[in-house]
Amino acid sequence: MTHDPATIAAFVDGELDDLTARRIEREAANDAALAAEIRRQRELKDRLRSHFAPVLDEPLPDRLTQLLRAEAAVDTSLAERRAARQSRFGGQWGAMQWGAMAAALVLGLTVGMQPWGPASPVAVESGALVASGPLANALDTQLASNQPADAATRIGLSFRAQDGRYCRSFESAAVDGIACREGEGWTLEQTLRGSQASDYRQASSASLAAAAAAMMAGEPLDAEGERAARDAGWKRGG
Amino acid sequence: MRFEEELVELLPRLRRFARGLTRDASDADDLCQAAIERALKSREQWQQGTRLDSWMYRITRNLWIDDRRAAGRRGQHDPIDDAVTQVAGDGAAEVEAGALAGDVDSAMARLPDEQREVVMLVLVEGYAYREAAEILDVPIGTVTSRLARGREALMHILGEAA
Repeated sequence: MTHDPATIAAFVDGELDDLTARRIEREAANDAALAAEIRRQRELKDRLRSHFAPVLDEPLPDRLTQLLRAEAAVDTSLAERRAARQSRFGGQWGAMQWGAMAAALVLGLTVGMQPWGPASPVAVESGALVASGPLANALDTQLASNQPADAATRIGLSFRAQDGRYCRSFESAAVDGIACREGEGWTLEQTLRGSQASDYRQASSASLAAAAAAMMAGEPLDAEGERAARDAGWKRGG
Repeated sequence: MRFEEELVELLPRLRRFARGLTRDASDADDLCQAAIERALKSREQWQQGTRLDSWMYRITRNLWIDDRRAAGRRGQHDPIDDAVTQVAGDGAAEVEAGALAGDVDSAMARLPDEQREVVMLVLVEGYAYREAAEILDVPIGTVTSRLARGREALMHILGEAA
């Protein structure tokens, strides 16, 4: 037997080029020691595979499949669930609605109590929350695939909603959320307290990801699609 | 196909991989759960057109390594590690005990993490060396040497009579 164990292993694992593999096959026909070593390695592999094979046939646990149903509750990890409990804006999808309302209320009150500077990210137009200032600017122009690491607003996903609008999830100091293009502006569909202002960051982005998944038609836009949508002014259709 | 649907299709294999890493059914599902949550959260980091399975295996494996390190820092002692150091001494008694048990689980338990993960990826999951190296983020030579050591140890522990 002239081959080292690594070569024989590579043969058994199908890692050798055809020429070398065929040569070893031929040699094994006349080399009992080589044939025995190949058999030994194959038997180990077969034994491991058959040992773990039954896992493939086990029914999938509900707790795993439920995570992957877009319309289902976002089941966050233990730490996040704990964080979410401490937050009014819970990590669950149902609570998102409340979160959005609560945030709208808070923002609304703040709008009433103090004048927003020109740089405010949020405004109220016809009773709806809309992006303004730097947030609107980021939503208009910033690409998730190509944003500075220290961008004040971080774009998450861009996607087409089931009703045809373009929507984008975002995170910033004051507010996180999902904004959808309406006419020339961005209506805030979901808002959460800004992730950078709190330690709810993970719970927040998990909630947003789930909310986005529920609104989304098909796949999120890839870098190319995102750029094309931006260049076309985030117009519906087309 | 939707991202979630592709993940569901991957789940049986991912559970098998996790079972091999953790050597415990409920730990394995905890690990899968954490990996799915991580994947959903960072789905924009997955490059469309690249293999979702490799990406998921990498997430799963990294979470497991993090967990092991955190357990180490908390001072939790894994009794299985004792078995590894014992068998490393290659005492005839331990080897014989393993062979008698003839048990793949206990043989796998005696491998160091770094060998076990390579054994799972290549021998059980059927990844090419190059793919395993990418999942583990190590050079291919590291994969082949860890695999060789893992293989030898398993054949030794399990004995010739497979």
